[in-house]
Amino acid sequence: MTEEVGGLRRLHAVPNPTTNDDVDQLAAALVSCGRGDQQAFSTIYDRLAPLVHGIVLRIVRDPAQAEEVTQEVFVELWRIAPRYDAGKGSAKVWAATIAHRRAVDRVRSEQSARDRVDRAGAHRPIAPDPVAETVESSFEQLRVRKALNQLTSAQREAVELAYFGGHTYREVATLLDVAEGTIKSRIRDGMIRLRDELGASEAS
Amino acid sequence: MNPNPDLHHLGAAYALDALDDVERAAYESHYPTCEICSQEVLDFRSTTAALSEVSTTAPSAELKASVMQLISATRQLPPVTGRFAPEPKRRGTALWAAAAALLLFVASAAFLVGRAAETDDAFASQLEHVLAQPDVRMLDLPATSAATAGHLRVIWSASSNQIAILGDELPPADVGTAYELWLIDETGPVPTRMLDSAENGVVRRILPLAGTPDTWGVTIEPQQGSTSPTGEILFLGDA
Repeated sequence: MTEEVGGLRRLHAVPNPTTNDDVDQLAAALVSCGRGDQQAFSTIYDRLAPLVHGIVLRIVRDPAQAEEVTQEVFVELWRIAPRYDAGKGSAKVWAATIAHRRAVDRVRSEQSARDRVDRAGAHRPIAPDPVAETVESSFEQLRVRKALNQLTSAQREAVELAYFGGHTYREVATLLDVAEGTIKSRIRDGMIRLRDELGASEAS
Repeated sequence: MNPNPDLHHLGAAYALDALDDVERAAYESHYPTCEICSQEVLDFRSTTAALSEVSTTAPSAELKASVMQLISATRQLPPVTGRFAPEPKRRGTALWAAAAALLLFVASAAFLVGRAAETDDAFASQLEHVLAQPDVRMLDLPATSAATAGHLRVIWSASSNQIAILGDELPPADVGTAYELWLIDETGPVPTRMLDSAENGVVRRILPLAGTPDTWGVTIEPQQGSTSPTGEILFLGDA
């Protein structure tokens, strides 16, 4: 999507031809899934399982429980595949959105927000479980890491606690002992920066 | 339609799933009606999906077999047909229509917003009013048995004395009967006189709140209503 929306959008990402083919193939497989094609689902699973499980494990932490949630996410993807609309995001974005929400809902339903903040607060100072500097295994990972490095450390901390920690912005504010409004701004500014660095090409 | 100007700034937090339930519901009732916010949600979701690239982890090899077996026994949702196809966004109107387009996409938790056929701006604005109350409470009522189909969400506020109830994918009640919502307090179940047949599987009602609920329950009753529950309790949740 390259069109301007109220002058707010900029497109930075240079489309990567390999990635785009890939995106198209996955979208096509997901459409086939929607018609009940289990073979296509098998392809989707193979391609997206590490992404989905990575998100879920990061938030849920317990490996056995994380596998349970990952399984639920894939069954849900299968169930709602007939309603997939490529205009609303790539297969990957769709799966990541569902996985993240499912994982977050799981941890939040298990413990009240208060409990979690208290527990996390007991281990202060909070290390936001920074994205580990492991092997850069893909172009995409390098790009994301580079984009994260463009944030201020305060923005990055807030975004990472929210996304990877599965915390609400209020919990992030409590954890960091910073005003809620400040955290909202850090999250918003950080996400805008990331969006501009990463582009939004994946959705189109 | 827009009780809270702050809503416009919640797109990033929403895409990160960093809103609490009440704010999430308020935002989900807002963004589909707002072109800028809709675009932000799409963009920020791409951004969060990209973030997830940095922590990919393969699940155990056994999981795939288990998933494949489960899906072979799982019925898929029907596609959204032309009849329910949402119209292009018209700012401030067709709230439910536009909402449906975006939210089917995260269908698991998004039954707050109904399908195009149930477009009801009056309901939408009353719902926003309830959601804007400082003491608003929300509960997804658990089904009492795995055989119970559908979802029900109750949202209520003592300060506005209102209950909003949203049901989806419910089996329509038989002719002559209707779904009833019971407010259960220390005196026992009090009927709310919801009495909705859930035609098309959908319930969208605003009801007066008379009392302080300890528990919410749902049964099917004769159409004219009952003073105490006679049907099997289908949904039950502690307030």
